[in-house]
Amino acid sequence: MSVVNYGTREITCKIVYYGPGRSGKTTNLQHVYSKLPEERKGKMVSLATETDRTLFFDFLPLDLGTISGFATRFQLYTVPGQVYYAATRKLVLQGVDGVVFVADSQSRQMAENIESLQDLHANLADEGLDPRSIPLVMQYNKRDLPKSEISSIEELDETLNFRGVPHFSGTAVTGGGVFETLRSISTLVLSRLSAPAGKA
Amino acid sequence: MARETRKQEEEESGEFAEFLADVSQEIAARVESLQPPPPPQQAAPVEKKKTPIASDGGMIVEWPNIADRMIEEMR
Repeated sequence: MSVVNYGTREITCKIVYYGPGRSGKTTNLQHVYSKLPEERKGKMVSLATETDRTLFFDFLPLDLGTISGFATRFQLYTVPGQVYYAATRKLVLQGVDGVVFVADSQSRQMAENIESLQDLHANLADEGLDPRSIPLVMQYNKRDLPKSEISSIEELDETLNFRGVPHFSGTAVTGGGVFETLRSISTLVLSRLSAPAGKA
Repeated sequence: MARETRKQEEEESGEFAEFLADVSQEIAARVESLQPPPPPQQAAPVEKKKTPIASDGGMIVEWPNIADRMIEEMR
């Protein structure tokens, strides 16, 4: 959960990018990383296979500096989308504060989107988190593909976004919608900040 | 060409700057509620009465509120 440490005046938030394999989760993080000013660029940790698939997870620490007297850090993670990395996804979800679900807009990928969303809900529930209330935003990625190959936003929303959370069109490969998505989930997460017992 | 590159760089930093501004605004708006609740007020410690001091010869010369003292000792 979000940590507000009054003793050290620190805020730390963990955001996880979830979604099926090849939907563009790592590309989202790579774009954020590419836009960071040099003085804020930490290390993006990315473990990929030879074919550039995320093997374990990506990790991008975002040090936002001191805001209103609080040293503020965001930790962005991705999970491996492939079905057989279920254990890793569970591990990465531990202590999550907000989730970006990156859906693949391609019509033929709809079943994978649904499966991944169900997997997310099951893993959140296993972590004792309520899938109906955790901060969540949807990003419908790959909107730059030919219209004949992709589902409409309405169709994606109707199928995947039953909570009616904020949704964004994405073309992560060129950065479209990446920061809009990040801003939205960050605002949702920050709106729920609270001090854990004993940290005051 | 150089001007285009410069403009692109400015736009790039702008994306992050806008994000940072939004986050800052959100935290600033909540900083009041982020203050930890004040610790519960503790009652002022009760000063324990000391056993009266006997003067020379074992004779107690000072024994104020003797009834209160006896009740306290019996607790």
